[in-house]
Amino acid sequence: MVNFTIDEIRQLMDKPTNVRNMTVIAHVDHGKSTLTDSLLAKAGIISSGKAGEARATDTRQDEQERGITIKSTAISLYGTLPSDEDIKDIVGQKTDGKDFLINLIDSPGHVDFSSEVTAALRVTDGALVVVDTVEGVCVQTETVLRQALGERIKPVIIINKVDRALLELQVTKEDLYQTFSRTVESVNVIISTYIDQSLGDIQVYPDKGTVAFGSGLHGWAFTVRQFATRYAKKFGVDRNKMMERLWGDNFFNPHTKKWSKSGTHEGKQLERAFNMFILDPIFKIFSAVMNFKKEEIATLLDKLQLKLTPDDREKEGKLLLKAVMRTFLPAADCLLEMMILHLPSPVTAQRYRVETLYEGPMDDEAAISIRDCNSKGPLMLYVSKMVPTNDKGRFYAFGRVFSGTVRSGLKVRIQGPNYTPGKKEDLFIKAVQRTVLMMGGKVEPIDDMPAGNIVGLVGIDQFLLKSGTLTTSETAHNLKVMKFSVSPVVQRSVAVKNAQDLPKLVEGLKRLSKSDPCVLVMTNESGEHVVAGAGELHLEICLKDLEEDHAGVPLNISDPVVQYRETVGAKSSITALSKSPNKHNRLYMIAEPMEEELSKEIESGRIGPRDDFKARARILADDFGWDVTDARKIWAFGPDTNGANLLVDQTKAVQYLNEIKDSVVSGFQWATREGPVAEEPMRSIRFNIMDVTLHADAIHRGGGQLIPTARRVLYAAALLAEPALLEPVFLVEIQVPESAMGGVYGVLTRRRGHVFAEEQRPGTPLFTIKAYLPVMESFGFNGDLRAGTSGQAFPQSVFDHWQILPGGSPLDPTSKVGTIVQEMRKRKGIKVEVPGVDHYYDKL
Amino acid sequence: MLYLVGLGLSDETDITVKGLEVVKKASRVYLEAYTSILLVDQSVLEAYYGRSIVVADREMVESNSDEILRDVENVDVAFLVVGDPFGATTHTDMVLRARELGIQVRTVPNASIMSGIGAAGLQLYNYGQTVSMVFFTDNWRPASFYDRVKENRDIGLHTLLLLDIKVKEQSLENMARGRRIYEPPRYMTVGCCASQMLEIEEEKGLGVYGPDSLAIGAARVGGKTEKFVAGTLKELCDADDELGAPLHSMVLLGRRTHELEHDFVREFAISKESWDRIWKADYEGKH
Repeated sequence: MVNFTIDEIRQLMDKPTNVRNMTVIAHVDHGKSTLTDSLLAKAGIISSGKAGEARATDTRQDEQERGITIKSTAISLYGTLPSDEDIKDIVGQKTDGKDFLINLIDSPGHVDFSSEVTAALRVTDGALVVVDTVEGVCVQTETVLRQALGERIKPVIIINKVDRALLELQVTKEDLYQTFSRTVESVNVIISTYIDQSLGDIQVYPDKGTVAFGSGLHGWAFTVRQFATRYAKKFGVDRNKMMERLWGDNFFNPHTKKWSKSGTHEGKQLERAFNMFILDPIFKIFSAVMNFKKEEIATLLDKLQLKLTPDDREKEGKLLLKAVMRTFLPAADCLLEMMILHLPSPVTAQRYRVETLYEGPMDDEAAISIRDCNSKGPLMLYVSKMVPTNDKGRFYAFGRVFSGTVRSGLKVRIQGPNYTPGKKEDLFIKAVQRTVLMMGGKVEPIDDMPAGNIVGLVGIDQFLLKSGTLTTSETAHNLKVMKFSVSPVVQRSVAVKNAQDLPKLVEGLKRLSKSDPCVLVMTNESGEHVVAGAGELHLEICLKDLEEDHAGVPLNISDPVVQYRETVGAKSSITALSKSPNKHNRLYMIAEPMEEELSKEIESGRIGPRDDFKARARILADDFGWDVTDARKIWAFGPDTNGANLLVDQTKAVQYLNEIKDSVVSGFQWATREGPVAEEPMRSIRFNIMDVTLHADAIHRGGGQLIPTARRVLYAAALLAEPALLEPVFLVEIQVPESAMGGVYGVLTRRRGHVFAEEQRPGTPLFTIKAYLPVMESFGFNGDLRAGTSGQAFPQSVFDHWQILPGGSPLDPTSKVGTIVQEMRKRKGIKVEVPGVDHYYDKL
Repeated sequence: MLYLVGLGLSDETDITVKGLEVVKKASRVYLEAYTSILLVDQSVLEAYYGRSIVVADREMVESNSDEILRDVENVDVAFLVVGDPFGATTHTDMVLRARELGIQVRTVPNASIMSGIGAAGLQLYNYGQTVSMVFFTDNWRPASFYDRVKENRDIGLHTLLLLDIKVKEQSLENMARGRRIYEPPRYMTVGCCASQMLEIEEEKGLGVYGPDSLAIGAARVGGKTEKFVAGTLKELCDADDELGAPLHSMVLLGRRTHELEHDFVREFAISKESWDRIWKADYEGKH
């Protein structure tokens, strides 16, 4: 039975100090969904017998079948602290009573679905980072943690699958302590690398209770705090003092009954307190149960004052172990306590998050109301993703209320990502039909939802593509658009098997695009439909959804192909010139390569078109050696107004230049979206406008004259600057036993892979190999690797960077790159030969 | 030989006798139909000239002129332009290209709005620089005309404003996508021009002109239904019904005026009373 009502939840929403919004994040297979189960069992949503196996937040059939999480799923829980004493341990933020509302989002761990994690993090303030005891911190642990810190999300961690270390690896207590300690250290290294000063010290410490240890599968977990509570009475010391003693180099000398830091007694090594007081009872239980020592078990249970149910008492072996441990150290209690005590409430978090969340000035009504988490202020709500409803083709808009209160029937301004204050583009004014509470796979209707909570909205999905801002304030700027750590670099084209199904495919593609934060849907010149995703798995899931659900018609799907980028290798050899169709306007431009670091800054959103131009110019001048005058005259970022190509005005005293700015920028957006070599997007090119001559009369220098001309001169400048193709490269992390490493190297070498790190995981025969692998070569890599290592290697690939595609000039049809270009052009249904520079360059 | 033939302002019968002879004997005849339009259909022209003609849109003239100039060394080609061939600077480029190819060019002039506007009653001597007014969009509001008008007004000259016509233009979106889908034709009216002018004055605030400045709206100049309406800019904002169908042009008065001009234009005034009052206050005798 669910042990709380929606009414109880609704009441708690009005006390934002007692709300915790948090995401569970981790590397794939480290046990997020399994851990989440124990929380759900505690809340009565699933039976406790099923916890650890149900994976209740994996609501999709394919998630259950594959055993991985694909979509993030939100659920609201009711949590309560055991006593008023505990409230005192909530430091640095206000609290109102012992009852808490926990809005939890279980997120996918596979790198291909990182965009789901981004969307989840945006609406939460805290994160529970799950790390596998045996595997330690992996590539995706780092990625999600970095993302969390970027969003100013405070982490706590749980080291999971401790049962495996005990049962399979049979480690000693000290070994286990060292493993824990190393993992905590690795996490803290990442935190300190990506730390945001405004968050303060957010490293995790076992002795402060921000690290838990446990087993999701068996449903138990503990923090040092729980043991400290037990022992504080026994030793008659303060609980917090006890916590410090139970971690690190603290030793209890049983002979002298004294605490010390040294750890020796008469020349003999003492057991550290953590091992003696915490691990010892656990090890004893494991050993007694797994060796079927009935009497010992009974004594232990007695000593720990544990009462098993009659049913549980009948069990044996692992089942009994599970029952005992779960009674001894219930995971849900520990996790709830850790989250309540150490994660920030919306009131606390929004105070420091507002700067990174809001695009407008920090002193307008929206910013102030977000900062104060004011439910009476103007509505500010960010929709971070769309969740499919049972009603086919319709979606719940899933998001977080940062300010104000959203209710059914409320008329709101729906501001898409391209909305600019004062303009009408990308803006709709519509009423919210209904508000709902997301409860795993189900929803519960709710009348209204105040600031600080996570909500589902009905009736606004048609007005937003994927994400956006909802507000009631006419002056409000947007909440910042999310930046994803993955790019859709793998694509496949789709076509219907039966021609009459085409309309269904087109409709299905629209729905697919909405349902996934990252997927990209395009239609080529030739009418070919292309779906692009972050990796092979992501794409496979998307296409399966498309075929079986969104479109519901049989499809032909092409082999995967890679998205390239067009760039330049040098400065244009001469200044490019193009004349407008009426020959009265002339544009002169030069293309040159842009600093790679700068491109990365732009792609990560740290430098963008909406920055203050003076501050931006300062950064460009200081960090990238730009001329300050140039840096202040950046006309545009492109493609899509935020890409990593820049258009810079370097003209001197051209009259009425402003009147053609928009046209030239439009041409720039167009050209950077489809480059001259193969109509792939451009990247990392800086275009300088050197000179402009214009017709005296405005009517002869309108968009019709200037837009195509700008595009042509940009193409000419790029073609004159040693054009090249960039290919996407994955960072692959492979866990493999030493014996199978040869196979890994063999497969990587055959596929142009480049190993740059190899390290042994201490205490295990496992090696972690890190390599760069071109995405083009990654198709079928997993299968190949399985074959090459008899299934002992586990790879994780995530997009890392772009590199110049080696093998000659793209303009030379006989070179390797030239061949790729020609194939690409053929596929897109455009003229196979790349048009030469004279196609775009006009002589004086 | 390439002939540039002016067609005059209004209908098929405005062509000159010399022009008609050229049209009749040329091997190919193109009609340029985007800088201005005639008030009659292509079929009417064809019937009157007794031959078929090819309509050359912007794309053909600007981007595909080779077709027009094909074989001109050996045969005669007539390129028909509404108004006067050189009324708009647009076609100088065609002549330059022909020159490059060593082709001889001859021009048959005709009436243009530049001279036709004389019918409004203001002396042609006293006109300053001509400017065009384009349709404003949300983010494209070229205001350079304002500086030209200011220069004219500073020395007391009238300004002829030519109004935007959009025939076979692509929307920005279609242009960026390279789709050849064209918007329905649009012609700017005097009302639209007057209100855009006032908008820019409000932005710039230099007092070059104002709602009470006198101007003349002209419709279908040179045609049978030619119509003039005089009044303040504010009055002209709402005078479109009176002026009727396109094409429209407009004249903003300079202060350097003659009483004959006053007598002539007064007949067109929307409100003779306000016309007289403002004339007396701001224009009469202000050399």
